[in-house]
Amino acid sequence: MTGYLAFLKKELFEYTKTYKLFVMLMVFAVFGITNPLIAKLMPEILGSLITDGITITLPEPTAYDAWTQFFKNATQMGLLVMVILFSNVLSSELSKGTLINLLTKGLSRTAVILSKYTCMALVWTTSIALCFGLTYGYTVYLFPKEETYDLLFSVFCLWLFGMFLLAALLFSATLTGTSYGCLLITGAVVVICMIMNIIPAVQRYNPISLVTDNMGLVMNSIEASSLYSTIVVACLFSLIFVSLSIAVFRKKQI
Amino acid sequence: MGVLEIRQLYKRFGRHEVLKGLDMDVPERSIFGFVGQNGAGKTTTMKIIIGLLKPDSGSVTVCGEKAAYGGSGTNRHIGYLPDVPEFYGYMNPMEYLMLCGEITGLTKTRIKSRSEELLELVGLKDQKKKIGGFSRGMKQRLGIAQALLNEPKLLICDEPTSALDPVGRKEILDILLAAKGKTTIVFSTHILADVEKICDRIAVLHDGKLALCGTLSEIKERRRLHGFIIEFGSEKAASCFENAEELKRPSISLSRSGSTVKVFLADGDMDGHLLLDVLSQKRIVPLKFAVMEPTLESLFMEAVR
Repeated sequence: MTGYLAFLKKELFEYTKTYKLFVMLMVFAVFGITNPLIAKLMPEILGSLITDGITITLPEPTAYDAWTQFFKNATQMGLLVMVILFSNVLSSELSKGTLINLLTKGLSRTAVILSKYTCMALVWTTSIALCFGLTYGYTVYLFPKEETYDLLFSVFCLWLFGMFLLAALLFSATLTGTSYGCLLITGAVVVICMIMNIIPAVQRYNPISLVTDNMGLVMNSIEASSLYSTIVVACLFSLIFVSLSIAVFRKKQI
Repeated sequence: MGVLEIRQLYKRFGRHEVLKGLDMDVPERSIFGFVGQNGAGKTTTMKIIIGLLKPDSGSVTVCGEKAAYGGSGTNRHIGYLPDVPEFYGYMNPMEYLMLCGEITGLTKTRIKSRSEELLELVGLKDQKKKIGGFSRGMKQRLGIAQALLNEPKLLICDEPTSALDPVGRKEILDILLAAKGKTTIVFSTHILADVEKICDRIAVLHDGKLALCGTLSEIKERRRLHGFIIEFGSEKAASCFENAEELKRPSISLSRSGSTVKVFLADGDMDGHLLLDVLSQKRIVPLKFAVMEPTLESLFMEAVR
C-alpha cells in the first residue's frame, strides 16, 4: 500500500512535470469551449460562404448540436489523444530501466500496474469532467431554453468507455512492452468492437455502444436501461484487462 | 552463515547456456569481487539474485531467506546498483531519494536525514540540478546513494566503474570502501586493478561456473608458482649458479638472461631454501633474491583459459 501511494504520487508528479497532464487538459478544455460555439456559429459560417443567388435554409442551431459536437470530439479526437499520450505508459520505463531501482527497493509489481491505471484514470476523469463542465456552461448560456435527457448518464457511458480503453491500453502495454505494440493492440480492440457491432445480438453487450449511443440517449430515442448490460460487460472487461496486466507483469523479465 | 548463498544455479537464454550450476557463498562484511569476461553471466547472476530474472533451476538465499522471482521479499535486505542506473530525468536527487524512501516505507524524517547523509557521502549534496542533466559519473554516484538508502545488509553493484574516467572510478571505489563495515558488498567488474584495490574476496566466473574463489591472499598462496628471480652482480656468477650440479634435476627448470636467472620448482616439497643453500655453497651473494608473486591478471588468465 505504501508502495502504491508513493508510486501514484510519482506518476502524478511525472504527468505534471512532463506536461502530459497539461496537454490533456488543454485539448479537452479547447473542445469544451468550442463545442457549443461551433454549434452556434456554424449557420453563420456557412452563410458567409454562400454566394448570391443560392438560398439554403439552415435550421436554427440547438443545444443538441452542441452536444453532438461534444460527443463527436470527445469520442474521436479526445480518445485518440488520450491513447497516444498514454501509449508509452510502460514502454519508456521498461526500455530505460527506470523501474529496476524501484523494484529492487521492494516496490511490488502489482502496485506499479495499479498505480499506473489509477493515475491514467484520474487524468482521464479530470479531462472529461473539465470538457463536460465547459460545454455544459456555454450550452446553457447560448441555448438557455433547450432540454436534454439522460445527459449525465450519457457522459458517464463515455467516461466508462475511456476507462475500458485505458485498461485495454495497459494490458497491451504490459504484453508488448513497446509503445507501437501498445497502440496497435489498443487499436485492434476498438476495431474488433466495431466489427462485432455488425451482429445485432452482440450490440447490447458491446462496449463500443457506450460511445455510439450517446446522442440517442440525450435525445431520448434510446432508453438508458438498454445500456445496462453493456455497462456490466465494459466493467467486467476492464477488470479482466487490469488483472491480466498484473498477472503478465508479475511474470515479465525486466 | 553467509549473507548470500547460491546453489546450483542454471540459466539459459535460448540455446545459449549462461550459468551451468553456479555455487557461490558470500560471507558477511566482505567486499566480494565478482570477476569475469564480458558475457560471462555476471549481470545475469545479479538479476537472478534480485528477482528480475527467473533461473531455470537452483536456489538463491539472501540472509537466510529464499529469493523468489518476481517477488520482492528478500529485496529489503538488498541494495542494487545496475550497470547503467537510470532515473527519472525530471527529478532532482533529493526528490528521487524521497521517492525511494517512501517505497521502502521509511518515515519522512528518517528519509530526509538519511538522504542528506548519503548525498553528502556521494558528493551530490548541493546538487539542485535535475537528474536529466547529470553526467555518467554523477548518475553512478546517485545510484550508490539510492542503493544504500534502506541500509541494506547486502549491496550489489553491477560494474560500477566500467564506464567512468579515472577520477570517477576512484571516487566510486572510495565510496564503496567507506560503505564497507556497514554492509556486505558484491561488486562485479572486469577491471582487475579495482578488485585488487578494494576487494578482500574474489570469485572468477567462467563458463557458467566459478573457476576460482576465495580471499585474495588465499588464492595467490594456492596458485603461487614456486618461482624465484635471482639477480647476480655479473654474468659469470649467474652462469656459475645456473650450472650448479645440485640444480640439475628434472623438477627444476632454470632460464638465464644476462645476469638474471629465473628458477621454477615444480616439486611442492622444495622451496627457496634449496636455492639459498646452493648460493651459500658457491659463496655467491646475489643482488636480488625474490619470490615471484602471481599477479591477479595471471591468475585470471589461467582461470579463464
